[in-house]
Order: sequence, then C-alpha cells, then structure tokens
Amino acid sequence: MSASHIVFDNVSKFYGEVLGVNRVDLKIPPGITSLVGPNGSGKTTLMNLMTGLVHPNSGVIQVRGISPYAPEKLMKFMGYATQYDSGPRGATGFDFVSTGLLLHGFPKADAERRAWQAIERVGLTAAAKRKVAGYSKGMRQRIRLAQSIAHDPEVLILDEPLNGLDPLVRAETIALFRDYGAAGRHVILSSHVLQEVDVFSDQVILIANGMIVAEGQIKSVREEIHEHPSQYLLHCKDASRVASLLFAESHISEIKLAPEGQGLLVMTRNRDAFSAALERISLSGIDIDGVIPTDENVDALYEYLIGGGR
Amino acid sequence: MAVYRRGYQRYSGGFTSHAARMMVIPRFSWERILEQKFVVILLVVSMFWPLLCAGFIYLANHTELWQGFDNGFKKFLNIDGRFFSIFMNAQSVYALILASVAGPGLIAPDLANNALPLYFSRPLTRGDYIWSRMIVLLGLLSFVSIVPGILLFCMQVGMAGGDWLWKNWYLGVAIVAGFALYICIVSLVALTSSAYVKWRVVAGALVLAFFFLLTGAAEMINEVFRVGWGSTFNPAYAIKTVWYWLLDLDIPDDKPGPAECGMFLIALTGGLLVLLARRLRPVEVVK
Repeated sequence: MSASHIVFDNVSKFYGEVLGVNRVDLKIPPGITSLVGPNGSGKTTLMNLMTGLVHPNSGVIQVRGISPYAPEKLMKFMGYATQYDSGPRGATGFDFVSTGLLLHGFPKADAERRAWQAIERVGLTAAAKRKVAGYSKGMRQRIRLAQSIAHDPEVLILDEPLNGLDPLVRAETIALFRDYGAAGRHVILSSHVLQEVDVFSDQVILIANGMIVAEGQIKSVREEIHEHPSQYLLHCKDASRVASLLFAESHISEIKLAPEGQGLLVMTRNRDAFSAALERISLSGIDIDGVIPTDENVDALYEYLIGGGR
Repeated sequence: MAVYRRGYQRYSGGFTSHAARMMVIPRFSWERILEQKFVVILLVVSMFWPLLCAGFIYLANHTELWQGFDNGFKKFLNIDGRFFSIFMNAQSVYALILASVAGPGLIAPDLANNALPLYFSRPLTRGDYIWSRMIVLLGLLSFVSIVPGILLFCMQVGMAGGDWLWKNWYLGVAIVAGFALYICIVSLVALTSSAYVKWRVVAGALVLAFFFLLTGAAEMINEVFRVGWGSTFNPAYAIKTVWYWLLDLDIPDDKPGPAECGMFLIALTGGLLVLLARRLRPVEVVK
C-alpha cells in the first residue's frame, strides 16, 4: 500500500523556534490532492518535506516507498514547481526545461525531445526560444509547470500552480492535472483558489498553524463536521409549503426562503433524516426540482475548520 | 476514485552518469562567464608571463647564445624550483583576480532568485551543487595556472632531455599539486563570498580582501607578540610555504613549516565548506 502512497508518520518540522508542521500523519493516495490553508500554515513546508528539500526534525516520510533522504532515487520520479519565480538568468524557456532534463540525466537528444513535448503541453512552443526574463507572470508559471512535467514524473508537486494563469490556460492546466491523476499518479498542489480546488481535487488536506485540520474527500470531511449544520439549496415551486413541512422535522435548524421565492436554503443536523424527509415530501406530490449541497465544498470546509465557521 | 489503475509507462531508458550530470551546470556557467569582456582580456593578458617564461626556457636551453657571459648569468638562466616558483607566484595573481571576477556571479544569483529548490529537486545533492560550482572556477583558473605550468614543464623536458626530467620530475608534480591547492582555496573563498554577499562588486572585493586582510592580521600577530608563528594564519604565506616545500626550495627556519601551513589550509578549507553548506539551504530558513 505504501509503495503507491505518500506517507507521513508523525512528522514534525521546526525552523529554530518557529513551527513548520507538527505531528503530521498522512497517507495520500494517488490522484489530485490539494493542500489548503492560510498563508504560513505549513503547506510549502509539507511540500518541501515530500521533496526532501527540508528534512523533518522527527517522524518518517515515504514517497511511494522511497525516502526523501535518497534524492537520487526520489527525484527520478518526482516533479516540483516552486511558487518562486526562479530560473537561471538569460536562459530561454527551452534552455530552462532542457537543462532540467539534462540534470535529471536524460541524454541530450532525449532531453531536447522531451523539453519540446512539455513546452507544447503548456502551450508555450512559440515563446520557447525567448528568454524567460521576458515572459509574463502566466508564461513563467507555465514554463515552471513544463519543467516539472518534462521528465514524466509519477509524483507532481506544485506550489500555487494556478496563480497568474488566464481562464483558458487555467482550464488546460486543470485538464493536465486530471490526466495525471486519472493515470494513477500523485498530483499534490496548493492553491488559494478554493472554488477551483473544489472542482478538480480528489481529496483535500486542510492545514492551519502547522497542524492537519482535516483530510480526505471533501464530502467525507464535511460529514465529519457535526457542529455545523449541513446546508442545502432546494429548488421548488411551492417553497412556502415545503418550508412548512420541513419545519415539522426536528433535525431542521434553519430555513431561509430564496429571494425570488424559487427555493429554500435549509440547514439540517441530520443528512439521512433530511433525505428521508425530502423523499416523503416528493411522494406526497410536491415537486422538488433540485437539491444542491451548498457547503460540501472546500470553501465551506475552510470556513468551518480554519476560518472560525462564521 | 478510479485512480489506482496505473495508466502510464515509467521511463525505462538509460540515464547519463553522475559526472555527466554534474557538468551541466559548469557548461552554462562557462558560457556566461566568457561573455564578459574583462574575463577574456584577463585570460589573454595572463598568457604574457608564460610566453616570457617560454622565451626564458628557450634561452636557457641554447647555450650557444650566451657563451660570452659570466657564471652568475649562467646560474640565473638555470631552470629549477626557483624559476617555477616565480612563474607560479605571477600566475597566482591572475588566478586570484579571475576568481574575484567570475566567482561572485556563481551562487549569489541562485540565492537571490530562490533557484536552489530548482536544483535540489533534481537528482543533485548540496555537495554536488558546490562541486559543480567549484568545477566552473577550477576549469577557469586551471587555464591560467596548471595548463601553462605544465606546458612550460613539458617544453623544458623537451629541450633539456631525459636527464633533466630524471632529476627534476618533482617540479611537474609541484606545479600541478601546488596550483591545485591554490585553486581550491581561492575557489572556495570566492564561492563563500558569493554565497554570503549579494552585490557582485563587494563579493569580488571580499575575495581580494580575504587574502590581504589575513596577511595583515598575521603580520600584526608576529609584530605584537614578536613571534613567527602568526604567519601560519596568512593563507598566502601558507600556500607559498607548501609550494616551496613541493619545489624543494629553502623555507626560513624562524617561520612556520609546511606541516603547520598544510594543517592551517586543511582547517581553512573545512571552515569554508561548513560556511557554504550552512548558507546553501534549499529553502529559506525562518528565524
């Protein structure tokens, strides 16, 4: 199992007296995993620990069965793009990517072929021979992504990869993550764009003050949060009637009528009982056009677990 | 999640050797350094003294040209350890200036651009990084020191013959070993300076100042305490003493010998490596 997972076993990292991460236990399966947390929460430290760029003060890390203390083995199958605008001065986009491949140990011809493929994948072929220093922020983000995928890694670690990308490129980049995730690779990324994380992540890791607050699939994490009632938006024509029927249920804590009268925002403390109640209402002949959970997303989880749950 | 089924092929081709990968960084660095006009001019100027020395070797090996001169002059034209020590002293100045020009641009930009994670997220260790940066300077400084030194030695062997080589083979070893030691120390000073000082000019000045300041400090110790051992802490003196020992030349009795100087240079090398390793962390350490 651990040969295909990234495992953190009681890992702590301190920078002098400053806490990086504390007693982290994680078992990250393949797929797209998003690290979500406020600035300085420890997301980048987690990534650096996975890549072996920093070593833990205590605990053990295994990346698909390989220790980050063995960079020669680890970096053969790992790609990393930092959030920094880093790159050799004067290098063109193509140089930047192909040099990385040469450092990986690919023969020159192979390195050049792979560099072109990766550059094409991020849509920078036309600008490949231009100097990185002249690239826009979004182009730099893409060339960083290209250098991280050029050697076809099994584990892709990306720090804020969607920053500065225009909507079209953002969509293409997310499609690339999905391809990687679907092929059984690890894609670990951090992002502040919670709505997007919600859409493409197979699972999330919420981190605050160096501690893991929650991890897993968004739905299962939400189900574990009992202190906040679940929110649903019901689309129905006879909203007042549905509201009155739902008020009779003991698990319903709050109901708000949507402004246009076309729906209800319902808060329940028992999802199963709520489902059963909806079924009863439907069977009684009242049309319910749609039921949408409104807090089964990273945004809500972030708010409940990190932001104080306003 | 239907993501556990592996749908990709692992790379199964061959990789280049560790040594070949290490040469990727120097190759690009050399290109950039040689784009600087001052470096090219310095490299050209540094060839003048070896050319003069070559002329001297030619004269020394053509006895018919100085038959009318006295014995003092004949002794002056002797190719021995003293001749090569003068050659090495002169070329070491060029090597030092080159290191102070080329060295500061090697690590500081990587630190300023946060590029270290980029290097270390390859199959590259911190030691590899330092070594590959060292290679840049080793190659450059060898061009003005070991290479002309060996050429002069070979020229002398070619002109003087096997007998001279039999008696003076150690001079060839001394040139290579002596310059290698010097280049290592100067390169480490330049890299450490580049790692700690962001401004290129200041870092370059620091490389030069390192030798001048320690020379001054060592002389001060000697004067204040009326001793000779203070010279041990003078890297220029320490290197010169090791050279003299390698070239089989006389070393003053009242000054530290090659053993003490060698120990100091080993300690200095270790200290510089520790300083470099402390600075070259892949991510910024929060204090």
